[in-house]
Amino acid sequence: MDRSTGRLGGLNVSESGGVADAKNLRVKLVLLGDSGVGKSCIVLRFVRGQFDPTSKVTIGASFLSQTIALQDSTTVKFEIWDTAGQERYAALAPLYYRGAAIAVIVYDITSPETFTKAQYWVKELQKHGSPDIVMALVANKADLHEKREVPTQDGIDYAEKNGMFFIETSAKTADNINQLFEEIAKRLPRPSTT
Amino acid sequence: MEKSFNLLHIIQGRRDGYGFALRPQHIQRYREYANIFKEEEEERSYKWNYFIEQQAKSNHSSSSEEECGAKLQAEADELRDEKISERGRQEDDSSDKNSDSHGSAKSNPGKDVQLSQQPEKKVQLSEEPENEVRRSEQPEKEVQLSEKPEKEVQLSEEPEKDVKLSEQPEKEVQLSKEPEKEVKLSEQPEEVQLSEEPQKEVQASQIPGRQTLLSEESDKEGQLLKETKAKKVQSWSWTRPSLHVIENMMSSRVRNVKDLKDRHNTINGDHLPSIKKTVSSGGSSAVEINKELWIKETSDENDDESTEERSVDRKLSPESFFPLKELEFLVHGGVPKDLRGEVWQAFVGVKKRRVERYYEGLLAEETNTEQSKEHNHKKTAPRKWKKQIEKDIPRTFPGHPALDERGRDSLRRVLVAYARHNPSVGYCQAMNFFAGLLLLLMPEENAFWTLVGILDDYFDGYYTEEMVESQVDQLVFEELIREKFPKLVNHLDYLGVQVAWISGPWFLSIFINMLPWESVLRVWDVLLFEGNRVMLFRTALALMELYGPALVTTKDAGDAITLLQSLAGSTFDSSQLVLTACMGYLAVTEARLLQLREKHRPAVLVVVEERSKGGRIWKDSKGLASKLYSFKNDPGSLVEEKKVNEGDNSLLESHSSNLDDLLNGLSVDSEVDSLPDVQEHVVWLKVELCRLMEEKRSAILRAEELETALMEMVQQDNRRQLSAKVEQLEQEVADLRQVLADKKEQEAAMLKVLMRVEQEQKITEEARIGAEQDAAAQRYAVNVLQEKYEKAMASLGQMEQRVVMAESMLEATIQYQSGKAKALSSPRSVSSSVESPRRRIGLFGLGWRDRNKDKDRTSNHDSGTS
Repeated sequence: MDRSTGRLGGLNVSESGGVADAKNLRVKLVLLGDSGVGKSCIVLRFVRGQFDPTSKVTIGASFLSQTIALQDSTTVKFEIWDTAGQERYAALAPLYYRGAAIAVIVYDITSPETFTKAQYWVKELQKHGSPDIVMALVANKADLHEKREVPTQDGIDYAEKNGMFFIETSAKTADNINQLFEEIAKRLPRPSTT
Repeated sequence: MEKSFNLLHIIQGRRDGYGFALRPQHIQRYREYANIFKEEEEERSYKWNYFIEQQAKSNHSSSSEEECGAKLQAEADELRDEKISERGRQEDDSSDKNSDSHGSAKSNPGKDVQLSQQPEKKVQLSEEPENEVRRSEQPEKEVQLSEKPEKEVQLSEEPEKDVKLSEQPEKEVQLSKEPEKEVKLSEQPEEVQLSEEPQKEVQASQIPGRQTLLSEESDKEGQLLKETKAKKVQSWSWTRPSLHVIENMMSSRVRNVKDLKDRHNTINGDHLPSIKKTVSSGGSSAVEINKELWIKETSDENDDESTEERSVDRKLSPESFFPLKELEFLVHGGVPKDLRGEVWQAFVGVKKRRVERYYEGLLAEETNTEQSKEHNHKKTAPRKWKKQIEKDIPRTFPGHPALDERGRDSLRRVLVAYARHNPSVGYCQAMNFFAGLLLLLMPEENAFWTLVGILDDYFDGYYTEEMVESQVDQLVFEELIREKFPKLVNHLDYLGVQVAWISGPWFLSIFINMLPWESVLRVWDVLLFEGNRVMLFRTALALMELYGPALVTTKDAGDAITLLQSLAGSTFDSSQLVLTACMGYLAVTEARLLQLREKHRPAVLVVVEERSKGGRIWKDSKGLASKLYSFKNDPGSLVEEKKVNEGDNSLLESHSSNLDDLLNGLSVDSEVDSLPDVQEHVVWLKVELCRLMEEKRSAILRAEELETALMEMVQQDNRRQLSAKVEQLEQEVADLRQVLADKKEQEAAMLKVLMRVEQEQKITEEARIGAEQDAAAQRYAVNVLQEKYEKAMASLGQMEQRVVMAESMLEATIQYQSGKAKALSSPRSVSSSVESPRRRIGLFGLGWRDRNKDKDRTSNHDSGTS
């Protein structure tokens, strides 16, 4: 019965992903960001623990899921939609971010352009996403710090201004990848215990 | 023909027969299927060879053999060649005569081109089917080329002042092309080459000369030279003559579409600065094409019908004896590897699409745009594509052996050329995979034209900025799948899974990276043969048919999607897939799809327009209401407001535009009458009308809201009822189960008791039998004893009688003896002495008898006890 009510909620604007029960959460997460910032790499690192420097271009979107256990013995199953980065695929993005409980917006610290694109996504989600969506701003490729062009502070400031969670990661070195998802899981709105 | 690019047979540990990476979890399954693929491949190459031979025999009058013959004889005899090509054209023309209503001027591109006033020789070449002719004219062309840069420079002086900057790149391009030609020539195969040796020498002598001339110019060029020299890739090749039958047949459907496309391009080209510039600069090949297209455009006015004609065209195929069905059957079985590249080109109609030097022309623009991008801000779009292409090239089939440095250069050129060819599409992710795949099967320019065919015809409107057709197709597919698999879709709905999440990427990538390669290629075989997107739908439906049953068992959205993705990724049985798709979904036809697309397109367009406006539908409708409200209070601003409303209305409801028409009509009337009260009346009416519209709109919105609410309630209600019923039933079932279990327990207990009783009974029975036996034995013993006793008694009786007798005899004797004694008293002493032995005897006799008696008794006793 739990699930069916969640589904019915989906007819309205405020569906917050499927929620199984208080101890075992199920959330829909969508990754957005410019092409080549490493969205797929972040997911692959998180789900499979792998990093492939020559990964494939994502067409449309691809799906992976991963379950993590938190310290308070709840489990969170992430249903991750990794979307295509090219600008025109934004036309299809609503299909994937509609009903998502979490949006992870990624940019590349070596490219200011991707940071601008990230801001575009934040605005788009504020306009069209679920009102209670949890957003995270992720500055990826932190391992390339010698080529950094977007200061950490810029990311922090922007995230703070928009009530987002900010983290710098590196899919290549696995830096902060698990932390990213754990932090997100902690910030999830818990279903009220009945 | 040799294809230095064709590296399909490289097999590495983790790569399949096409050199593509295999997922680790699929390696085992791939190995299992590798042998099947091999067998299928052998079978189909046999079938295809047979088919092609048959065609060649039955069409001995057809162009293919003539061309073959011509090929062998061809020298630099222009007249002759022209005749042959003319004949080829006639055939093509006759093939189109039935459907072509636009007159000969249009139906023969070659003639059109001649009208374009550009260097004639060169243009004629564009329609020549022979390599040799091209080569024979090479010197002339080169002369032309050598002149071109100057011309271009002259003309480009007008739009730009820094001529020197733009001059150099132009020459670079020329240079870079020249060696290519050289390479091509040296790679031409066999006999023909030999016969043309002298010419080649002439050419060779020309080229180095020019090279030395030009190479003085800069270091950059030197680099370019090296690059191009290193490039041993043949950039264009003709399909083998044996396939010309198929080629001609298939390309009959290209022409009209091509006209349409080309017109479309020239129109778009006008908006694109880069093309415009080349138009103004003159001399370059792109200009010729543009002019040609302009002429074509002016000569035909019925273009709108051409899409319809295209389908008619196919039916009224010129070679009506051509066994289309048989070919279709072969295609369903798959195209053999070594024919695939050329057969695909034949299907797409590359020969007919190709415009000589168009590809080089597009590439030549490269230097122009790069040179001038500082000055021209309008070129941001091409630059964006270029950037995206650069990003994606290393991410296209990473690690594929054929996509080395040179392969990537080819890929880059093809993608850039396409982006310039069709700026309304430009570059879209996914094309990189298509171009990459095509480059694995054919030379560079062929790949370009095939890509053009696929993207401009088959996938028109798919990869544009808004991806309208792609979105429409998803709605169409959803409707189809709802129709074919209602149960599955119900389940997916229940899980909250949208079909488009999964099918969207399938369609956009045409299954590349979604299915195993063998299956992808088989789907492409059919798709390219059919000339439309029907196969996309059929394949997707077949996948749903194959994997639907498994999907229905999933418990949450994540599992369902993961399962479908992984199942699709392991669809190694490509024959099963293609046959399921082609045989199982015959009802899914292009006509049906067109109809469904028409139905769903408006919805997509509304959303697209909304997006471009940056607002939401419901927000806007609110805005509309407030606008109408202010407008009602202020009739003065009526006209302006109305204009604003017009846009919004048409968005929401198609018939609201009718209302606007009505309003327009009314305002016209008012002007004619120009009577103040009437005008006022009209204004009042308009206000009233707007008020009504507003009311209607809010009513509709309210109704929609209520409807959704109702739907929700009904759904919820239904679900609640159903679940209540289910619970109740489950409860009952549980109760019954309990009862059943109790009963069973009781039964078991009873059985136990019964068994015990039975056992006891058995024991007592046994005991009873034993006792009876004992009793019988005892009774018998008693009887025996009785008998013995009686016997003994009888013998005792006898003995007693005897004793009595003996006693009486003894008494009698005693009496006798005493009587004697009495009578004889004197001799007493003597008599007493005699008497004593007698007594002894009598005593002895008795004693003996007694002893016997005792003996009997003991023996009797003995037998009794035993």
